[in-house]
Amino acid sequence: MIVCVAVVGHQNNPLYIQSFTDADDALKLHHIVHCSLDVIEERVNNPKRSGTTLNEAFLGLLYPTVNYKVYGYLTNTKVKFILVTTDLDVRDTDVRSFFRKFHAAYVDAVSNPFHVPGKKITSRTFAQTVSNIVGSYGLN
Amino acid sequence: MEEYPEELRTPPVSLVALFGYSELQASISKHLHSQQPPINALAFPDFSHISLLLVPDDQSSVASSFRDPLSVSDSSSPVPARCGGILKRDWLLKHRTKVPALVAAFFPSHHIFGDPTQWLQVCSDLDSLKSVIRPKNIKLVVVVVQSSPQEEISEDRLVALRKRAELDSKYVIFFNSSIDSELSVSLSRIASAFAELALAYYREEGRRIKSRVEKRSSNSPDLNVRYCFKVAVYAEFHRDWAEALKFYEDAYHSLHEMIGTSTRLPAIQRLVEIKTIAELLHFKISTLLLHGGKLIEAVTWFHQHKASYEKVVGSTEFIFLHWDWMSRQFLVFAELLETSSATAQGFSSLNQGTAEISLTEFEFYPAYYYQLAAQYLKDKKCALELLLSMSETAQEINSCSESITPSGYVGQFAQLLEKGEGEALTFHSITDEEYTRYTISEAKRFQDSFEIIAWLKRSYESFTNLKAGRMAARCAFEVGREYFDLADPNNAKKYFDIAANFYRQEGWVTLLWEVLGYLRECSRNLGALKDFVELSLEMVVLPVTSYDDSGNLKNKNYGPGGPATFSGRESIHQEIFTLLCREAELLSSIGGNGFKLATDSPLHLEIDLVSPLRPVLLASVAFHEQIIKPHAMCSITLSLLSHLPLPVEIDHLEVQFNQSMCNFVIRNSQRPLWATSSNTVQSGSQVENEPSLVLVPNNWLRLTYAINSEQSGKLECLSVLAKLGPLFTISSRAESPAAMEDLSVWKHENRVESLPTKDPVLAVFGQKATQVDELEPQVDVSLGASGPALVGEDFTLPIVVTSKGHAVYNGELKINLVDVGGGGLFSPRETEPFSLESHHVEICGIDGAEGNDESESETGNIKKIQQSFGLVSVPDLKEGESWSCKLEIKWHRPKPVMLFVSLGYLPHGSEDNTQKVHIHKSLQIEGKMPLLISSQFMLPYRRDHLLLNKIKPAPDSEDMSSLPLNEKSVLVVRAKNCSEIALKLVSMSIELDDKQGETSCLIHQGGGCGDSPSSANLAPGEEFKKVFTVIPITRTSKLDLGSVHLKWRRQGSNITEACVLTKHKLPEVIVEASPLVMNLSCPPYAILGEPFTCAVRICNQTQLLQEAKFALADAQSFVLSGSHSNTISVLPKSEHVLSYKLVPLTCGEQQLPKITLTSARYSAEFQPSAVASSVFVLPSASHAKKTNSTVK
Repeated sequence: MIVCVAVVGHQNNPLYIQSFTDADDALKLHHIVHCSLDVIEERVNNPKRSGTTLNEAFLGLLYPTVNYKVYGYLTNTKVKFILVTTDLDVRDTDVRSFFRKFHAAYVDAVSNPFHVPGKKITSRTFAQTVSNIVGSYGLN
Repeated sequence: MEEYPEELRTPPVSLVALFGYSELQASISKHLHSQQPPINALAFPDFSHISLLLVPDDQSSVASSFRDPLSVSDSSSPVPARCGGILKRDWLLKHRTKVPALVAAFFPSHHIFGDPTQWLQVCSDLDSLKSVIRPKNIKLVVVVVQSSPQEEISEDRLVALRKRAELDSKYVIFFNSSIDSELSVSLSRIASAFAELALAYYREEGRRIKSRVEKRSSNSPDLNVRYCFKVAVYAEFHRDWAEALKFYEDAYHSLHEMIGTSTRLPAIQRLVEIKTIAELLHFKISTLLLHGGKLIEAVTWFHQHKASYEKVVGSTEFIFLHWDWMSRQFLVFAELLETSSATAQGFSSLNQGTAEISLTEFEFYPAYYYQLAAQYLKDKKCALELLLSMSETAQEINSCSESITPSGYVGQFAQLLEKGEGEALTFHSITDEEYTRYTISEAKRFQDSFEIIAWLKRSYESFTNLKAGRMAARCAFEVGREYFDLADPNNAKKYFDIAANFYRQEGWVTLLWEVLGYLRECSRNLGALKDFVELSLEMVVLPVTSYDDSGNLKNKNYGPGGPATFSGRESIHQEIFTLLCREAELLSSIGGNGFKLATDSPLHLEIDLVSPLRPVLLASVAFHEQIIKPHAMCSITLSLLSHLPLPVEIDHLEVQFNQSMCNFVIRNSQRPLWATSSNTVQSGSQVENEPSLVLVPNNWLRLTYAINSEQSGKLECLSVLAKLGPLFTISSRAESPAAMEDLSVWKHENRVESLPTKDPVLAVFGQKATQVDELEPQVDVSLGASGPALVGEDFTLPIVVTSKGHAVYNGELKINLVDVGGGGLFSPRETEPFSLESHHVEICGIDGAEGNDESESETGNIKKIQQSFGLVSVPDLKEGESWSCKLEIKWHRPKPVMLFVSLGYLPHGSEDNTQKVHIHKSLQIEGKMPLLISSQFMLPYRRDHLLLNKIKPAPDSEDMSSLPLNEKSVLVVRAKNCSEIALKLVSMSIELDDKQGETSCLIHQGGGCGDSPSSANLAPGEEFKKVFTVIPITRTSKLDLGSVHLKWRRQGSNITEACVLTKHKLPEVIVEASPLVMNLSCPPYAILGEPFTCAVRICNQTQLLQEAKFALADAQSFVLSGSHSNTISVLPKSEHVLSYKLVPLTCGEQQLPKITLTSARYSAEFQPSAVASSVFVLPSASHAKKTNSTVK
């Protein structure tokens, strides 16, 4: 189950962060998302060490914590997408397809002429699309 | 890791026992210990101690209720009916410290080869030793100690000894300690034999147990685990790491299979035993992997280990046991990683693609494991607290757990009961209930918090070193939270500050809110009011806009700051402002916050450009004009913005400038006047009244006022101070609208942004500073220049300072000379001798005006002169007075120069606050050459020298003229006035520059009579000539003739004034002796038709015979008789005369027939000059007489 998704700007500022749990661990998820930025930085700065190639936006598993797994995705504009899940075995293809859909939703949201680049995403349509994507995750 | 026994943490070391010869044992033990790999030695002084070897365990005798399958003596019956446990606690220790791999018996050689009774003693010792060690397969070595190498050896006895000991000959070793060289040989021999035998022993033991594993693999899983473990340990003893690893892994896997199947112990204890052994095996495996440098394998192994046991929780009631165990796994692995050398090399060479489980970057660092260990321990702490709060029988637990101790098996606990009175102690197995009580009481003794803090701190440091700031911030936050729970606000604050500083930079508002909430609580507990207010205000102005607080305020997942919502901001805002802005009568009462706000301790907050409190009060100040006149009113717009969630009313505002005279106050007329006046605004300064001063959230409060300044220079608004209530003031640094930066936390928010001023131009370009002009100067400075300056003279320039309305005080005149070309007054490329003086134009002096001499002596009068800069103090002048001085400038080269003069003065005496008024003047002055000096050489008339240099010039002397040696040559020096000023020439002379010149030539003034005056007036353009004679007396290729010294001054100037000396260097000449001289002798004039004789004398001045060829060209105006061409020989130092008779045919100046002489020796041709070889032909003799008479 996906418990949290986040969009982080290129200055590592949060643009959108939404958790999908009933329990009140939103704060903990914020911490996890924030810490995973370190891994992204490390991976982007030292591309040799990681298996992922430079051309790929999908960064793979960022780091496992006690109960969660964190996946990352980096767009060309240095906007990061982060996914936190509680699933233990995650198929890479699922995560990839999730990020692809998520990226498309993000592009739609920032293409809004009233959106100022670099500001937080407050679009309700975006939130709705994201929750749909999250809901459909892992079903297929 | 330290909690493991040492034998487990270190690799196994072989053990040997030494018998006899106690004096040798120390050195042998030492030597064995220093071997690679080392060997430990047990030393027994003599054979009477044989019984001490392999003393049975105390423990095993005590635990008599169990059968002991581990002790080797039981190996004959290896299948016990009921197994007591998996691993015996002291088995490894026994092999490390008690059971040797071999026994070495030391005998002196004379005991063996000497007396038969002693030989018998040796035999009996050997027998008893053999009886002890044989059942355990322990190896034997006999060492014969010789006192000297020459000692006699009986071969028979030696054979008998070998037989008796049943030893191969190489294990009977001779040891000689008497000689040093022998000693080291013997020692190494012993060491190698020992190592070999120990290895064999461990290998055999391992093989023996391994065969058991292979034979009965299906039987008891307990035994299988145990045997695998033993084989692995023996493999470690004989350093077969691969096999050790394999068997440890086998043991681990067999153990994991036991989880569901074993029924030997009560459920909880069973699991505890399995987990303990799993931990032990895991530790061994990880250690082996890491020491082998297999970092990826180790990390992958750890993952598997974690995954296999993560869900093996056991009883959920006592889950804390599981968390404790998990936390220990992470901690131990973290410590292993930290100490292992594999991590030091980094993982740059690792290829993660090969690993089955994809590993992430930080899983290779201990920090990650420390952090998770702390997290699990925290879980354990929570679980334990929950358990304790639920259990009512906490008191009871304490009482009955005293006698429980770890039993003889790893991972088991038993009750130690005293049987009867005396030493008989027995272990009794315990029930799960007893066991849990025991563990709870044990767990209560530990302060988990300190462990958690220690590990998190380590993690924090490690992450900081890895430059993983966010991970480190999180660890710092967790440390702070742990300290906060321990009620240690000082330490908590330290770590929360670290985290808060990081979150501030990145704008993670929810995280920052959380940390600030804790920090606020810390400062409340510490009683730090200012911190409390600052932190509260910072929280209040965070861009938290979510309204969602659906009843989860009570959830303890939130910190003391509550959830980050808009209502949270509002409530903190209200709390703070009720605390700070209470009415005067309530001041002494103690608020709900526990802070006492005393009347005499006002609270003042400074907000600068980087302060996180900047959104509380943002002050933008813009002057409407960039330059203002002194005393004129100027508009200034003050815009204030606040991000506080609720409107705030300001009592008064103080605007502060760098010129404190301009400070002013804006007063809210609805508020009462506070008696306490501020110290920043002087009494009597400007006060403005506003009907209301309310800061509405996210709306600019714009105020425009007029101010004036009397002081010239920069006028800058420094800060705006807002007073809220009687004691609370906030001072915010003023900012220019043009250079205002976004608020760091608010810049990513979606909100309506408005301009600080209504005028958009001012909002974009407005500045918080303006320039106040100076007063108009009312003093005149005039520079009187009289035409161009001449090079070499002291050019004087009068400067007159005239007061026209201002008095002059503390006047200072600055003089600057600047090259008009801009290239400076000095050009280093010029290398002519007189440009060695670095400046081409320089100020020589400043001559003060009349009566200035006394003021110069006054102290404090400045008079500094440098080559292009001068500073003169001007005496105080009253209105209408004037003062003048003369500036002397000297030109070394013709050059136009710009002269800048600036006068700075105070118009009103010595008032401190007034500023100096400046007047600037400039003048361009041309520097010109006064005289052009040229020179010319003339050779004697009608006397031509063959100067070889003239005909074939040397390559470097093209421009140089040649002079004949010892001949009188004429030098004409001309001086032309090329300036526009009439000059008076005082004298002209040639001065030789050095002594060599004096000896090499003689120079005389030409003429010698008075008709060439040494002084003359030269109008512009006029030329003055002077003739000198030069007789070179030394032959040289470079004759320095010195230079012309010309003294002159401006015409009409004062005679007393010094003349200017201009020097002109004469060109250098070549002096050579001419081998041939051709003299033309001819009458001074000729008469038409009258013949006259003309002779050409060719004089040979050398010691050689000169052959000369001459040719005479016909001339139209003469009839000539004589040989036209011929070759003649001139004898050394003699003369040859060619004589011609000529009849002139034409009147006037006529060219004589031209003779050309060619010297054969020098193959040089020369002719007399045209001027010299002409003659004037008179029409008749009467003319000649007339001419003669006029000449006379």
